[in-house]
Amino acid sequence: MTVTSEVVNAPRRQSRRGASFRDAGPPVALIVIFLIFAALSPQFRSTDNVQNIVDAAAVLAVVTCGITFVLMMGSIDLSAAGVMGACALTVSLLVANNRNDNDFGLLGIAVAVLLGCAFGCVSGLALVLLKVPSFMATLGMSAVGLGVATLMFAGVQPNISDTMVKGLAIERFLGFSYLTWIAAVCILVGWLIQRYTRLGRYAFAIGGAEEVLLLSGVKVNPYKVAVFALAGAFYGLGGVMVTSQLGAGLVQAGDGYDFSAITAAVVGGTLLTGGRGGILHSAVGVMLVMVLTNGLVQIGVSPYWQGGVEGLIVVAAVAAAVIPQRRRNQVVK
Amino acid sequence: MNVTPRSAAAIMSLSLAAAVLAGCSEQAAGGNDTAAGGSAACDPSAVKLVGQVRNESNPYEASWLAGGDAFAKSVGLTQERLTYDGDSTKQQEQISQILAGDTKCLVMNVLPNGDSDTAPIVKGADQAGAYLVTQWNKPADLKPADYKTWLSHITYNGVESGQQIGDALATAIGGSGGIIALQGVLDTAAAKDRFVGLQNSLKKNTGVTLLDQQAANFSRAEALTVTKTLLTKHGDKVKGIWAANDDMALGALEALQQAGKAGKVAVVGIDAVPDAVSAVKAGTMTATVSSDGSWQGGIGLAIGFCAATGKLKVEDIAAANRAFFAEQFLITKDNAAEFAAPKTNPADFECGNVFNRVAGPLT
Repeated sequence: MTVTSEVVNAPRRQSRRGASFRDAGPPVALIVIFLIFAALSPQFRSTDNVQNIVDAAAVLAVVTCGITFVLMMGSIDLSAAGVMGACALTVSLLVANNRNDNDFGLLGIAVAVLLGCAFGCVSGLALVLLKVPSFMATLGMSAVGLGVATLMFAGVQPNISDTMVKGLAIERFLGFSYLTWIAAVCILVGWLIQRYTRLGRYAFAIGGAEEVLLLSGVKVNPYKVAVFALAGAFYGLGGVMVTSQLGAGLVQAGDGYDFSAITAAVVGGTLLTGGRGGILHSAVGVMLVMVLTNGLVQIGVSPYWQGGVEGLIVVAAVAAAVIPQRRRNQVVK
Repeated sequence: MNVTPRSAAAIMSLSLAAAVLAGCSEQAAGGNDTAAGGSAACDPSAVKLVGQVRNESNPYEASWLAGGDAFAKSVGLTQERLTYDGDSTKQQEQISQILAGDTKCLVMNVLPNGDSDTAPIVKGADQAGAYLVTQWNKPADLKPADYKTWLSHITYNGVESGQQIGDALATAIGGSGGIIALQGVLDTAAAKDRFVGLQNSLKKNTGVTLLDQQAANFSRAEALTVTKTLLTKHGDKVKGIWAANDDMALGALEALQQAGKAGKVAVVGIDAVPDAVSAVKAGTMTATVSSDGSWQGGIGLAIGFCAATGKLKVEDIAAANRAFFAEQFLITKDNAAEFAAPKTNPADFECGNVFNRVAGPLT
């Protein structure tokens, strides 16, 4: 969304009761769906399975953290798949692996996250300097990322042998894998940024009423670029986490994460028009999606039906969540 | 009854003409006509060999092209290597470019991108009189037997490979216990056939029960998540994991490691990707199935070369060899080392042996 084409919204009525009702939707849906599955399947409510759901949610949670900031701003980001692929290959070639003699450990992870950050930065610059709509800029960035990843792939899959990186997915602390704790830290950091920093507050404000910010003399462009860079860093970390899980650097590491993350954010109550929602909403959305995929397998829905059933429940959940704010959710039109 | 004598006369006169032509060509020894599919036999050195696959960046297709090179070298030629990056349009462009050149002694060994890409390739080659062998993909109603220079179509029986690994899995878990199945993209022929194979295997191995089957879409990452979920659902009842391809099998191996069950559950896959072959060699995976990519790369050119040089007459090729399932190989710990480095056997490509690996007609 470019500066000039930003939709100006009439000042909204802020009703306290409305706000709490609106925010309560997704968590209530999460609890209801959880209870339904728990009633239907004893395996579903086992501790092991709850751990499994939370562990499986780790990567999606990190990617969704990134995309949430972009959505809050009223832009969209489709670059996750490409950025994750490029970062997955980067990290797998920098830590101990079967392709070369590198063994940079943590430094390799840091480089991969920085690469993701750089990709996001380029998307953001294309948006503010070249006025390319974020939809196209990030879609292009995704293709660039996949291209870079394919070049690094060079026909031989890099398998990682770094015990630290592999251990992140295997070793456990208080019952959850390290990746889950990393995701928890990401959610906390994301929430702190959203709540207490100028970047987070402005991201909200840009999504809500960019015009007002501009008239108040705020230079929004640097903040837009920073938001995309932040999102890119989260995708980069997501790529690293997938690599740790799979034990290998795959070009397709981020396959499907772009749309699952947007789905999770929207299900959680972050609006595609911007200015609403946030990290905690998205975290609830991620859990909702993961509980759904896991639950359908646990209660034994045939794989031939699962895709369709999952889609229907997601649409129903979003519909239920946005009814209180139908007027505001212009994307529905 | 005046039809029969007329047609009999027609046949007689045609065969007479054919005999005369054949006589002529025999007299013109070393000339330009031994009547193979209507075109002249080529001097071996004049044959042009073309191998076309999707890309060189995956190990399977790289070994395909290497097999083609090995065959070409054995007859003193070089193979022209074409790759189209999985892009159907690009594949058709490359084919028309090749066919626009000299097609008299052209031999093509082609991997069509999808079923629908085969028809235009076949029609182009037929018009140009180029010898063509296709592999893996063709629509069921398009048959090499209806064409003069489309020598053969080679593919692999997914039902058979699905059953082979199913049986290997049953043996590995001692003939009884629960297994879970990871299916591919549900609406593809490969996924359907391979799963039918598993069901056949289950009928035979009555002690083995299929606890659950889920689609993981041939993807390593999806297989990881699905396997973890199924492991919590069925716990220690899971003794084996059947995966419709090796990528999913490798994802399942990661899931087992994360669940602390590495080595306790047998895993099988199909395709023989290098990582899977080394896993089989190391004993972490039970079995996989190989189509032998380097043989596929060589055999298409060999069949075409034999036809072009007149050593193999198109009309002499048995109907069952015009479209067939080729033999595939179960890789277990015993023979994994042989498959770790793909290589070709020159004897497979001699004109008398080119159909030695026919496992059955394609129906």
